[in-house]
Amino acid sequence: MTSTDQATGSDTPRRRPFAAALSVLLNQAPLLVLVALCLTTVLNEPRFMSPINLTNITLQASVLAVVAMGMTYVIIAGGFDLSVGSIVALSGCIGAMVMLELGPVVGALAGVVIGAAVGAVNGFFVAYLRLNPFIATLGTMVAIRGLVLLITHAQPIVGDEGLPRSFVLYGRERFLGLPLLTWTPIVLFFILAYVLERTAYGRKLYAAGGGPEAAFLAGIPVKRIKASSYVWSGALAGVAGVMLAARLQSGQPTSGEFYELLSIAAVVLGGASLYGGEGRLYKTIIGLMIIIVLSNSLNLMDVDSHWQDIAIGAVILLAASVDQLRHRLR
Amino acid sequence: MIRTLTLSAALAGMAALSSPAGAETIGVALASTTNPFYIAMQRGIEERAAELGHDVVTVSVDEDVVAQVDGVLDLVAREVDGILISPIDAVATNQAYEAAHEAGIPIVSVARHSSSEFQTLFVAMDEVQIGRDIADWLIEAIGGEGEVAMIAGPSGAATFRNLAQGFREVVNANDAVTIVFETEVPLTREEGLRVAEDILVAHPEVDGIYGGNDELALGAAQAVAAVGMSGDIVITGMNGVPPAIAAVRNGDLGLTVQLNPVAWGRLGVDTMDTIFGGTIPDQEVFIDHRLVDATNVD
Repeated sequence: MTSTDQATGSDTPRRRPFAAALSVLLNQAPLLVLVALCLTTVLNEPRFMSPINLTNITLQASVLAVVAMGMTYVIIAGGFDLSVGSIVALSGCIGAMVMLELGPVVGALAGVVIGAAVGAVNGFFVAYLRLNPFIATLGTMVAIRGLVLLITHAQPIVGDEGLPRSFVLYGRERFLGLPLLTWTPIVLFFILAYVLERTAYGRKLYAAGGGPEAAFLAGIPVKRIKASSYVWSGALAGVAGVMLAARLQSGQPTSGEFYELLSIAAVVLGGASLYGGEGRLYKTIIGLMIIIVLSNSLNLMDVDSHWQDIAIGAVILLAASVDQLRHRLR
Repeated sequence: MIRTLTLSAALAGMAALSSPAGAETIGVALASTTNPFYIAMQRGIEERAAELGHDVVTVSVDEDVVAQVDGVLDLVAREVDGILISPIDAVATNQAYEAAHEAGIPIVSVARHSSSEFQTLFVAMDEVQIGRDIADWLIEAIGGEGEVAMIAGPSGAATFRNLAQGFREVVNANDAVTIVFETEVPLTREEGLRVAEDILVAHPEVDGIYGGNDELALGAAQAVAAVGMSGDIVITGMNGVPPAIAAVRNGDLGLTVQLNPVAWGRLGVDTMDTIFGGTIPDQEVFIDHRLVDATNVD
């Protein structure tokens, strides 16, 4: 036994062994669900494991993965962000507009910066004006969608000769067999996980979300930390918007709808608590993969889309119930 | 999530069981599952596929371009033999065409066009010919001579450019009829009304007005009715939407052009069947259209 095992094990004798085992099991429930889902699918439809389908799954998950990682930051810090879907559309369209004038690099940066700016507005309203995050980000979600439709005249941004060639290639090309669009969340994952779990800033995010009063008393600038989580979420939604523009070879003003709900669902499926202070980045990715694989596998097995919605809803309810059970066993 | 594959209709399934060897699977990704136009097109596809003994697998999306691209990727992973798509956006669906091309699956656009170089074929309406037919009808309706005005749709969209081109071609070839006014406006009733009001002031002798689509034509009809000239000035529309059909019936509108989405879907399947047979038809595959006027509106 390592020292950490002993440290966490110090309170186990008070629990019954059965409950302890159950707790461990429930802790990894999302992973087990994902594995079971993959096994069931592959038994019914061997093409699930074909290289082309596996690539499809990563591609279909890539944009949402970036949004969901930002959402994880906000939820760990005790917040909530409904505006990410609108930011995806705004960043994609602004990015496309700017890159038609100033080239792909400046355009992509503009998309990310505008996302971070909206995030900063969210952070200001929630952390400093103390608005309920649900209401504050509902406001920006609606307003930003209107802004996108206004500046684009509700038309896709394509330019006369299309978006810059190198940008379109980013949405299309592969590296070591995986699409570049898939590599983006992979690289971001390692950076964001490092920040969250290996830096003082990361610990402050958990502290600000888990116990704001205690964190405040411990000298953590809770307001600033909370506000910063929205900047992360906005900037990452901006990255996702730029990625989506590359995938669609255009800025689409109506894109990103429902991304807020799907990314929140991914975080919750991964076992994070909506009360804050809890959550792991890799678990969010597992939660997202449950949603993506569920949809893909039902597609491959010819199941009606309405069933897919029902199945995803049921899985979310199940995950939330498991989460409650896990907390009670503590 | 918002897309799906359904093996459509027991009919298709039964046909597949009893069909000769060589039954193929056609993946279908139309633009909408709630728009009556595409519902009818889907029906045409399923009917014709069942008759030919092909299976149909449908990806249903509702004007969500990401879902459409993802859906086509799933069809490719499922190794369907051909894909019929009505692309929601000419550019944003490029990745879907690329994926089909890479997998060697023919992908045919129906009703809406794609900018992708990998589009195997486009089953279109013959826009130039429709424009010519409208002109022929209008010239006859105004008695073979007089003045006509054009309220065309935006020429940035190929459809409206082609329609107007066909119309102009025929009218210009006729010495007795002159185009006295010509403009391009967004496709709304409000614009049709506004422009037609100006036309009536500037060209009080006008005999006929060409509307680039039904909304423009219905707007023009309102302007004409407001000055009590309904029936004296002949207005033409395009698309055959229900309000336009009603306006033809009560005489406010002279003509609209109806495209038959069921036949369009059937033609898509026939085209795919030809491709399965090893020949790719030339790039001109057109759906029939029907001129609807007072003589045949009911």
